[in-house]
Amino acid sequence: MTATAERPTTTIFRRPSSTKGLWSWITTVDHKRIGIMYGYAAFTFFIIGGMEALLLRIQLSQANGEFLTAGAYNALFTMHGTTMIFLFVMPASSALMNYLLPLLIGARDVAFPRLNALSWWIFFFGGIFLYSTFIFGTSAAPVGVDGIGGIDGNLAPGGGPGSFNFLADSPDGGWFGYQPNAGPLYSPGTAMDYWALGLQIIGLASLVSSVNFLVTVLNLRAKGMRLLRMPVFAWMTTITSFLLLFSLPIIAVALFMVTFDRQFGSLFFAAQAGGDVILWQHLFWLFGHPEVYILILPAMGIVSEILPTFSRKPLFGYSAVVFAGAAIAFLGFGVWAHHMFASGITPVAQAAFGLATMTIAIPTGIKIFNWLGTMWMGRIRLSTPMLFAIGFVAMFTIGGLSGVTHAVVPSDWQQTDTYYIVAHFHYVIFGGAVFGLFGGLYYWFPKLTGRLMNERLGKVHFWLMLLGFNLTFGPMHWLGLQGMVRRTWKYAPETNLEPWNVAVTIGAFIIAFSILIFMINWFTSRRRGEVSGLDPWDARTIEWMSPNPSPEYNFAVPPVVTSLDHFWHLKYDEDAEGRAVRKEDGDEIVATIDHEQLNPASPIHLPNPSYFPFFFALGLPLMFYGVIYHKQLWGKGLIIVGLIIALAAVIGWAIEPLEEPHGDHDEEEDAIPPSPPAAVLPPSEGETESSDD
Amino acid sequence: MTELIHEADLDHAHPEHEGTGVEDRKLGMWLFLSSEFLFFGALISNYLLYSQRPGFPQPYPAEIYDIPFTSVSSFVLLMSSLTMVLAHNAQTREDANGARTWLFATAALGSVFLAGQVFEFTEFIVEFDMKLSTNPAASAFYLLTGFHGTHVAIGVIMLLSLWGISRRRGGLSDRHGLNLELVGLYWHFVDIIWIVIFTVVYLLSEPPL
Amino acid sequence: MSSSEHIHHPSPAQYWKIAVVLAVLTAVEVAIYYIHRDFDLGNFNTVLLIGLAALKFVIVIGWYMHLRFENRMLSRFFTAGFILACALYTIILTALGAIALTR
Repeated sequence: MTATAERPTTTIFRRPSSTKGLWSWITTVDHKRIGIMYGYAAFTFFIIGGMEALLLRIQLSQANGEFLTAGAYNALFTMHGTTMIFLFVMPASSALMNYLLPLLIGARDVAFPRLNALSWWIFFFGGIFLYSTFIFGTSAAPVGVDGIGGIDGNLAPGGGPGSFNFLADSPDGGWFGYQPNAGPLYSPGTAMDYWALGLQIIGLASLVSSVNFLVTVLNLRAKGMRLLRMPVFAWMTTITSFLLLFSLPIIAVALFMVTFDRQFGSLFFAAQAGGDVILWQHLFWLFGHPEVYILILPAMGIVSEILPTFSRKPLFGYSAVVFAGAAIAFLGFGVWAHHMFASGITPVAQAAFGLATMTIAIPTGIKIFNWLGTMWMGRIRLSTPMLFAIGFVAMFTIGGLSGVTHAVVPSDWQQTDTYYIVAHFHYVIFGGAVFGLFGGLYYWFPKLTGRLMNERLGKVHFWLMLLGFNLTFGPMHWLGLQGMVRRTWKYAPETNLEPWNVAVTIGAFIIAFSILIFMINWFTSRRRGEVSGLDPWDARTIEWMSPNPSPEYNFAVPPVVTSLDHFWHLKYDEDAEGRAVRKEDGDEIVATIDHEQLNPASPIHLPNPSYFPFFFALGLPLMFYGVIYHKQLWGKGLIIVGLIIALAAVIGWAIEPLEEPHGDHDEEEDAIPPSPPAAVLPPSEGETESSDD
Repeated sequence: MTELIHEADLDHAHPEHEGTGVEDRKLGMWLFLSSEFLFFGALISNYLLYSQRPGFPQPYPAEIYDIPFTSVSSFVLLMSSLTMVLAHNAQTREDANGARTWLFATAALGSVFLAGQVFEFTEFIVEFDMKLSTNPAASAFYLLTGFHGTHVAIGVIMLLSLWGISRRRGGLSDRHGLNLELVGLYWHFVDIIWIVIFTVVYLLSEPPL
Repeated sequence: MSSSEHIHHPSPAQYWKIAVVLAVLTAVEVAIYYIHRDFDLGNFNTVLLIGLAALKFVIVIGWYMHLRFENRMLSRFFTAGFILACALYTIILTALGAIALTR
């Protein structure tokens, strides 16, 4: 598509050209629109996952609760974890990365716009596939285990009286799907197949976007933007992409093994036939621990953008923050077995992984002290984004400290599978990643809409969420230390666990209420919020040199970067003591930039929309439904139909050029020497390279 | 200076950006291939783990390998790397006919390798009764070689697509010329994985005593 | 940088020679396999076969994939993936007892 509407011509179908309406969203390849779709989808899943959590908390708010059946409880905690990690935090980070990465580095789009659309659609269909288990999935009590023929009590999904029974027919193996519990013997029915294959699809989406982001960062930075001049969020996106690139193939293999075990009779994790169930734990956590950093590093990047802006100081120790991020990622590959201290791994391994885990505290500590150093002596403005950033630093530190206690092996034996663990990872993922993400939403809301979010509602949201969060997850520490087991469905009144559980449940509802306030704020501010102008926060980085909301081409004049915090240096000088002083003509500079960026000197060519990413992504879940039902004829048929759709889409994709020929515009451009370079994006992506695992 | 700029253009770099000078798609392909090490590494270690566990029902894959046969099919795959690189070389010399011939030869050799794998699997299942569900070692063997075969099959499809495009249009455009190079990279990668599999899984693997 | 890329690529004749080397190496591998079956070579067998495979591996990557002639960043990424895979899976196999620390 171009800034001036042009009729696309050459392709087998007529090329999509609508700029409004449903089809424009389905066929878009604009990284900003894709980011928005990621964001809304992630938030929807956040609401669903949150509802699941509330149901769990209602069940636990009293001793011997009768609200849920055991089966429904198992299903709900499994889906809560899976949803929050794979369908909320990851895509929410992805939303911000997609929207912002090209803006942060001064590019007009990502390196492979259509591949970017493909990632999004694969993710979207993967999420729907996973959740379709509520409709199609089945789970039955294990039968045929040496005449036991269905086990009562905690293992009987759907059995017994109780509400929400229909939920029991969904994945119930926990978010890490330990074997052999999640294998064919103990989890018959199709629910765990939906889980394994759903994660497979979602993983593919992340793999594709990791390659995309890496190439974007390596090849598309604005002139002068050397690697060590990139905003920290762009750096953390890069590091996260490396983590995804190298960890996703591992879980892909592990999930394939599960699927083959469940569908085709292989014996990888069949303990009764000599399969090694600990192998699953190794493979899962070999992916799962980098995954933890995949969740938190983007939030660290966001916070590293917010803190300097609202402290009106440069980020303290920029390169240390960047290298500490890289160190966390690197070390993150070498600590997976600390999730397995109770699984009987050798003492040598326990000592080694315990020590390795402790070393992660060093780069993390470096970051925390650098953030404190950034705020120290700063002229701090406590706007909502800043509150969330400070909340992030405080809550993440608590979570980090309880994390170090898990590195101490004997202490970890005591804590494994108790609520202490639940408390820890909610402090890092909710107190960390989610606070960071909300901070980012408030901070970059003007970028999306050209308006500001309501400050008062924002502050109410922050304080309520902080209160609710600590009331929910703080008491879990001592519940865990008192011996409350994780994933327990009921606890006896004699255990005296009830009072704190009541507090936890109240906290959870306070969080839910604060999210409601956020939603009200979001939807009212979108239309009626205060108009932000180009530079509402007196920002430092070049994404704010693009008008708000960003036009489709991002930058009419691609910026030429001369330093770290380039935008800040345009507006500020140093006085004799090295303090930043805003230039007298600062406002004029901002106004000039705004005008310049809104009025391109000549039409800017951007990649055209395409149908094919959508249809390629549509083929995948069809194939995977077919795998689940491959024993029936229609299942085999579905595999073939899915394959044909995907293949047809790939062929169409390969033939279709990224950008349609521009007719006589090219000549005009050549004729005018000072025109800004058109965003000549590479003609095409590697079409099939991502389709094979 | 002018020379440098000229070379950057040859590399299809983005002259208006800071970058590596490597074409986007090529960089993407190398990144993807480096992640494939983790994919095949998991499959190979899976096999190494189970192939030496004692006490499984017979047979172990290592007891029934047909080494002369597999040596021949390994040789075929190795030589397909030669034809692949010759196709790329012909393309860089703008020899459209040569490129097309060598592309077809590569696809043909790849298909021969796949046919060999189908034959091998059939033999193992029918003659020796080693199924996916016989024991974990057999499961691991089939998963590993099966995924490798899938990669080869995808490669053959991509090669034939390029061959078809070249036939219809009398040659490959610059864009598809780069695609040829990318498919080549993928193809060689699949080949080096087989080099490892042939040595580690076939030649070095011994059934537990 | 990639400036050397278009100058130093091998010629078809060199590609054929490399193929001959690869074929010979494969033949040697198979020969060693049979020699080991009749006259136990012990650990020497493992070392030889892995060494030969590594040689083939490097030749294909370096010349057929042109990695020798490319931007060094590409080989860094590629090596990183390879080394990471080797390191991680060695640790897993050791932890699961498939590789014994002492024999």
